[in-house]
Amino acid sequence: MRDTIKLTQPKEIVCIVCPNGCRVLCEPSDGGVRYSGYQCKRGLAYAEAELIRPMRTLTTSVKTAFADAPVVSVRTAGEIEKSKLREVAGELGKLTLSKRVKIGDVVAQNVCGTGVDVVCTSDRLVQSL
Amino acid sequence: MNTDLQTFDVTVIGAGPAGLAAALEADRQGAKTLLIEREARLGGILKQCIHDGFGIVRYGEKLSGPEYAERFIERLPDSGVTVWTLSFVSGIERVGTDSFLTVITREGMKRVRTRSLVLATGCRERTSRQIGVHGRHCAGVFTAGTAQYYTNILGKLPTKRCVILGSGDIGLIMARRLTIEGAEVVGVYEAKPTPSGLTRNVSQCLWDFDIPLHTGKTVSRVFGDARLTAVEIASVDGCMCPIAGTEEIIPCDALILSVGLIPENELAQSIGVPLDPKTKGAIVDERNETLLQGVFACGNALHVNDLVDYVSESGETAGKAAAGSDRPERELLPVECDQSLLYVVPQRLDKAAAESERVFFFRSSADMDNALLTVSRGETRLLSKRYAHLRPPEMERLPLALSSEQLAGEEPLLFHLEEATHA
Amino acid sequence: MSCLSKINQRLNVRFGGRVTAREHDGCLVLEGALESWDDIVEAGLMAINRRRYDGLVNDIALIGGEIPPMRLPKLQDDVLDGATPDVLVIGGGIVGCAVARECARYDMSVLLVDKEHDIAMQTTSRNDGMVHPGVDLIPGQIKRHYNMRGNRMYDAVCKELDVPFRRSGQYICFHGTKLALAAFFGQFYYRLIGPYGRYLGKRAFAKREPNMSKTISAALYFPSAGVVSPYGLAIAYAENAVDNGVRLSLDTAVLGMTVKDGAIQSVQTNRGTICPKVVVNAAGVFAEEIARMAQDRFFSIHPRKGTNTILDHKAAERMMTIVSSFGTASPKKRHTKGGGLVKTIDDNTLVGPDAVETYMKEDFTTNAQNIADVFEKQSRTDPALHMRDAITYFSGVRAATYEEDFVIRKGKWTRNIVHAAGIQSPGLTAAPAIAVDVSRMAAELLGQTREVKQNPAFHPIRKGIVRANELTSEQRDALIRRDPDYGEIVCRCEQISKGEVKAALHRSVPCDTLDGVKRRVRPGMGRCQGGFCGPLVLQIIAAETGRPLEQIDKSAPGGEVLYGTIKEVRP
Repeated sequence: MRDTIKLTQPKEIVCIVCPNGCRVLCEPSDGGVRYSGYQCKRGLAYAEAELIRPMRTLTTSVKTAFADAPVVSVRTAGEIEKSKLREVAGELGKLTLSKRVKIGDVVAQNVCGTGVDVVCTSDRLVQSL
Repeated sequence: MNTDLQTFDVTVIGAGPAGLAAALEADRQGAKTLLIEREARLGGILKQCIHDGFGIVRYGEKLSGPEYAERFIERLPDSGVTVWTLSFVSGIERVGTDSFLTVITREGMKRVRTRSLVLATGCRERTSRQIGVHGRHCAGVFTAGTAQYYTNILGKLPTKRCVILGSGDIGLIMARRLTIEGAEVVGVYEAKPTPSGLTRNVSQCLWDFDIPLHTGKTVSRVFGDARLTAVEIASVDGCMCPIAGTEEIIPCDALILSVGLIPENELAQSIGVPLDPKTKGAIVDERNETLLQGVFACGNALHVNDLVDYVSESGETAGKAAAGSDRPERELLPVECDQSLLYVVPQRLDKAAAESERVFFFRSSADMDNALLTVSRGETRLLSKRYAHLRPPEMERLPLALSSEQLAGEEPLLFHLEEATHA
Repeated sequence: MSCLSKINQRLNVRFGGRVTAREHDGCLVLEGALESWDDIVEAGLMAINRRRYDGLVNDIALIGGEIPPMRLPKLQDDVLDGATPDVLVIGGGIVGCAVARECARYDMSVLLVDKEHDIAMQTTSRNDGMVHPGVDLIPGQIKRHYNMRGNRMYDAVCKELDVPFRRSGQYICFHGTKLALAAFFGQFYYRLIGPYGRYLGKRAFAKREPNMSKTISAALYFPSAGVVSPYGLAIAYAENAVDNGVRLSLDTAVLGMTVKDGAIQSVQTNRGTICPKVVVNAAGVFAEEIARMAQDRFFSIHPRKGTNTILDHKAAERMMTIVSSFGTASPKKRHTKGGGLVKTIDDNTLVGPDAVETYMKEDFTTNAQNIADVFEKQSRTDPALHMRDAITYFSGVRAATYEEDFVIRKGKWTRNIVHAAGIQSPGLTAAPAIAVDVSRMAAELLGQTREVKQNPAFHPIRKGIVRANELTSEQRDALIRRDPDYGEIVCRCEQISKGEVKAALHRSVPCDTLDGVKRRVRPGMGRCQGGFCGPLVLQIIAAETGRPLEQIDKSAPGGEVLYGTIKEVRP
């Protein structure tokens, strides 16, 4: 079932997709929403998603067993619900990597049941330079 | 001592995003290239910028800092670039248009002779002392970048409960980062009436985590003995001075500062490269060559950028030009801006340059809606362009084709902004 | 009318009977209560009569203000319990360190204690680093005597201890023709009584210091002025003392003393009870408290705070030496230094200091107004001075007595104590000479119980940490080949190598904090103020001491930089 958008008051949403940071104005109109102020369709899509179910990429780091790189940076391979950011961050805190992973390697699968994997974003553990 | 002089066509100092791009581009142009980095690893500040958003312009992807850096680093083994890490340039001498470098390395002192020198030395953070934070000098006062290093490189938290002063991008990013790691960010305080960072960072770093932003307020004092125990917040008047009677004490264990970045130009100044007081970086032409022939500047050493994509572009511009071997005499035309802009880069145009399209970077000096940019020479208007929004934290990139007729004469180019009056 | 009644009459007129003076065995004691600290200080200064009394003790209580107690180390153990040194030196500032080292010339066992976590943490390191020629001192003052002697000793002492010292000379500048004339005759006055000074006309001065104010009409040049790192010298003295057998105990506060029959029997500290034969009081702003414990309190300290600002190397290119203007001191306040511009031994410009009376002996806070005032005052000398060139600022507290003079003597009532108290400016200059006399006095006191001979093993030479960026390329290359850590730059602003940082951690007076390393080899002293090098130095300290990162302090215990591993720390 498609989520419905309930908007009673006008709302300004700052698009975070690109550096333009468009301020998209969302106004209730005939039971729907009227959007203005976006410079591209990604801004429109972002604003729509924000009103229904805001999604974010989580970037953080996880501990490793290696003294030369005590932590390594990771991120979710896709977007997760904004409301789950802290839960996922907490879950990743329980992790200690004992393998020298590289960029793109999955360090946690389907984290917190989001259906999204967490991947390594740094070659700190494998590169000498 | 390694007295035998090693000779290169192009030497790049600093292997952050600007230096990596410059070295790879110089190498691609066929120049014998040396890349010198003082740290053990390449990538510069990107190593600790583990958040995403890098590469949107260049790759159409939202990469993390280390991933973005890796796109360049992975090209090095197949290139001809010579890389020296843990190597520190302690001095430069100029002989003619060549530069002689003294380099301190773990193997000993090295001497380098280079035809072109590219300065990609990045920037440093303004410190608590430079903005006049007073009180006791205790542990617990960090610049945002230092706090970021501790958190993301060492994996250690510098605070459990902090106040962030200044709303620069690193401060906003660190507000989110520390919150994710379990620290409490009491609030971000900004003396100016508007935030200094990108709007999207205010939104995704502060609003997403319910971190309050207080504008028009500053930290007037810090308290603590060995470690910081509280800060005093006060509202500021028009001159950015705290207003008596508005003080409020906030218990916390750290003050994290994100109050501006300053291009690092100590080496440039040691050889007499003229700087622009507005950018605090070198004065350059459109190929990023400074007023000293054979010396180039790029990236945040040239002017502080907010997007790494433009930093890489700036490095490539410098690298490409530095690799060029025969240089005709330059005919430099000044590029100026009035007070409606914070600055414009480049500050010179070479009339003798072959390319007709030049790329300018500028920032407005105030928030403007529906702004009109004009570029003119004397009475002649070369360009008029409208912008829906301009904000000082958000740098604009402007490609501009200029014919040689348009550049005839000695009249400087003038950049000017005005808010279009609402009819 | 007796001297005492005259003093009481004056106090009565000024304070309406709320303050009275009485005589106690050669000392003048003030009693009463006042609301303002400035009034208490004023009462002390107006009651002074040096010819008549050995000292002034100001016991006027402060109404409505609480004088904070001495900050104490958290450490509690008994490592010093039962120690019986011949000489206990209390205070590890420049004077205490120099005294300990000079005591080592005798065959005496010496214990040097300081309540702080490192040497020279208070007044000594919060100083402008100037070796004074003694221009503004009055003949007959004890401090003038020691200043003149100390100044002459500097070249030899700094050579022995391998401490950089530059006799840069000092200019005192005069504005206007009347003062220029006074300066011209002034040079003959100084040639007669010392220090030697030379008159320079407007143009001669401008040739030597071309960037100073154009309104300067003349200057007196005093070639015997110099600059040194005050904490650098104190640390060097302490290291040489330890090299010669002196025992050093830091984080050690003196909490009390047992005095019997006019002699100190034992000294209680947070690290055990010590039974010294002789005590040297070099406790700086707390010298009065030590004297009180020793039942030998015949002077009072009224702390006077000063703030200095350090400018970037770039700004320091504007001047070569030490320059100050005549008449910048406020005429209303006595004994306030006018301050000046000092090109430090590390080639920064130091601006300051000012002078503010305070009852808080450890108030090292800074505030914007004081610094702005100092800049305004000093811009008379250099109009281009600007706060934007400041890289840091700091405050210190001077340990002034009401006599505004040093107390260098054996105890008045207690037999086995020597005071080196009331040491304010020019204490740094005077310290080498003070140490010679105080150590001799200590030896004399000890000599009453046993024969004291010279220590034949005493070795006056100390080798400092190599300053790699002062070496030639060839020398540096050779050094790196011996130890590659000298080829790895940790602090980019001051170009300090990892080798130097490691060396600082393994000296005879070791350190284990960021600031300790900074004071010894300078990483973090530059314009980035440790933003880049702080984390690197922290890691080196952790690796060398084998302690986790989160246990390394910035400056002192309780001042840890980090709280633990991410995602494990809970607020």
